[in-house]
Amino acid sequence: MLAGENTMTAGPAEIASSDFGRVLVQRERRFATLLLAPAFFALLLTTTFPLLFLVYTSVYRINLSMPFMNGFVGLENYKVLLADDRFWHSLIVSLVYTISTVLLQIVIGLALALFVMNMKRGQGWFRIIAILPVVLSPAVVGMIWRTFMLAPEFGIVDYLAITAGLGSKNWLGDPSLAMVSVIVIHTWQWTPFAFMVLLASLASLPEDIYEAARIDRASAWQRFRRITLPLLRPAIVMVIIMRTMVALTAFAAIFTVTGGGPGTATEILNLYAYRKSFTELSIGYGSALAVALLIVTIIISAILFAIRRSK
Amino acid sequence: MKSFSKPTRRTFLKTSTAAAAFIGFGPAILRHARAQDASLGAYQSAKINWRQAEGETITVAVIPASYFENLISLEAQFKALTGIDVRFEKVPPAQIRQKSVIDLTSKTATYATSATDPMYYSLYAANKWVDQLDTYLNDASLTDKNWFNYEDIFPAWRGANSVDGKLYGMPYDGEVTIQVYRKDLYEAKGIKAADTLEDYMKNAAAVHAPDNRVWGAALRGVAGAGQNMYIYPSLFREFGGEWFKGGKLTVNGPEAEAALAYYVDLMRKYAPNAASNWNWPDIADAFSQGTLGSYIDAHSSASVVNNPEKSKVIGKIAYARWPKGPSGKRVSSIWNWGFPINAALSEKKKKATWLFIQWAASAETQARTAHKFAGPTKRSGANRESVWKDAEYVKLLNGFGDNFVQVSMEALQSDTDVDWRPRVPQWPAIGDTMATAIQSALSGQNTVKAALDDAQKRIEPMMRG
Repeated sequence: MLAGENTMTAGPAEIASSDFGRVLVQRERRFATLLLAPAFFALLLTTTFPLLFLVYTSVYRINLSMPFMNGFVGLENYKVLLADDRFWHSLIVSLVYTISTVLLQIVIGLALALFVMNMKRGQGWFRIIAILPVVLSPAVVGMIWRTFMLAPEFGIVDYLAITAGLGSKNWLGDPSLAMVSVIVIHTWQWTPFAFMVLLASLASLPEDIYEAARIDRASAWQRFRRITLPLLRPAIVMVIIMRTMVALTAFAAIFTVTGGGPGTATEILNLYAYRKSFTELSIGYGSALAVALLIVTIIISAILFAIRRSK
Repeated sequence: MKSFSKPTRRTFLKTSTAAAAFIGFGPAILRHARAQDASLGAYQSAKINWRQAEGETITVAVIPASYFENLISLEAQFKALTGIDVRFEKVPPAQIRQKSVIDLTSKTATYATSATDPMYYSLYAANKWVDQLDTYLNDASLTDKNWFNYEDIFPAWRGANSVDGKLYGMPYDGEVTIQVYRKDLYEAKGIKAADTLEDYMKNAAAVHAPDNRVWGAALRGVAGAGQNMYIYPSLFREFGGEWFKGGKLTVNGPEAEAALAYYVDLMRKYAPNAASNWNWPDIADAFSQGTLGSYIDAHSSASVVNNPEKSKVIGKIAYARWPKGPSGKRVSSIWNWGFPINAALSEKKKKATWLFIQWAASAETQARTAHKFAGPTKRSGANRESVWKDAEYVKLLNGFGDNFVQVSMEALQSDTDVDWRPRVPQWPAIGDTMATAIQSALSGQNTVKAALDDAQKRIEPMMRG
């Protein structure tokens, strides 16, 4: 009876304890879901939904100047897109812009990082000054360059060009110079980012390998090629991935500096999509262009990630 | 209430100055107050109930320009007259079109009315985004026709703001493009204002001396439907171009090529390098620094080149109508900022908006923002013939330089018509495409012919739908 009583009392307690654990876990999970829900919904609402809506509008004809023609058109917008010279032109401009800015950022950023690593004094100051362009808004950077740096005759760059005997150049009025200008501007603003990341990983490289190399009488170039570069590879690839994604979707600086001009010389895909949607009011086709840009960005990032994983 | 609970620096200054002034100049203030009261009389003589929408608040989008600033400064008078609160929002011209379109498509009714580009009414009307104003004009409870005298407003601008004969936007302030030139430079070379485009090129060559920092001439170079595509249409029409050849919108062909070639030629030979990215304020600034011999742009830029604080050429400026083109025509621009009524508003707000529009476009308010305006910057784009015939207004404007009033009036009355640019709902797309084409020819990215043919190729599917 007593034992029975014991089992009677112990039994439910045991069951209760395992049950309790499960209930706790369940409650915990529910609580976690509850905590996560607002952020999750906010994210869904602000990123996923607009993205799906973009894809949805891209299969419709939505033209504000001819509302009576609006309706579902399936893949028509994409067919038009593939035959649109200006789309291909802007895609090429985008790729040229991306590849050249990313390459320049890596090369200059790495050079700067190597230079600063060997600096005995003033490294901190250099870092602070170097980071300044990054914290500026691209639109502000655009305005600075447009008025202060590149304006013919009065701009600093043009003044230097005249002093150097090159003569006054129409930096933003000539198609190829305008392209060079926007590439330089983007590089100027974002090289410090590459520089900071590469400097940080340079600082973390093990000193003993270099010591061993020096004992083996490896030249500076050999040390750089055989040790520094391979060890920096993960950082470099990461910088390439991040900068590529940003360069592909750049907008504000070009918009304020050239607006895609002269003509269409600096019209990157993003800008073309914007103009189609908001200036020409052809929202459906503009969405298709934006989706095309999204696809291009995804493909390029996928390739870069694959490269990163491959070794 | 708010000012009592939260005395800001401004209200403090206001009340304390008012108090001080009152103690010192009590009687003067009282006289002034009486004058203010009487001044509403000019409006109260209209046989309508100005207070029928009392208590409403409306938001009006305008561009940051002196002609709207003057109107904004009279807002208290409007409030005293009607009891309606007006909140002004200043949006730069490049963005106001987009912001308005976004507001209208989403039917949020943020702007009761907004300063509107006349080229946009076809688009607005096609989407039924704005109300026909004829309904309001013909409603005796809302408009006193004799008092408002709609027919006094320039017919060209009324026409530009109408679609199929129905008015959609009330003209508030407008402009025409004219020749502006340095009479001292012209006299020194023994030349006169150009009568033909050919002469204009020759004049530019005659005064062109970049080594002395004087360039021959400049036109708007920056791309935009309201920038380079605000000057090119005049050249196109002067060279004999027609937008709708046989009912089909055509932007290429021999006349177009000749017109664009002329533009590119003039700009490359005689304009400063930087002008390919210039809009009218940049041109006016360069002219007032004495570095330009001449330009063709809006008559309203006269107030910039006559700004006593900045301009070095005051007293040396003269004006003339557009030079004639090979077709024998002079073609000026047609432009005004008008006020439509957003169709998404409630009935009462629509009434309030109409009262505001009627007030702003009335002869009295036009005069009070122009020659009767107390501040330093007066308007030069009043919307009515009666104002332009007012001796005081004429005196004010003739201070801008030789022939100013005569030239502007003639340009307005005989050098322009509503089909100056293609008035179709697709205009935003067409204007942008043309602007890009003009700039690509100017920068040498394309030849003149290739740029225009490409534009034609892009515009055709837009029109087909």
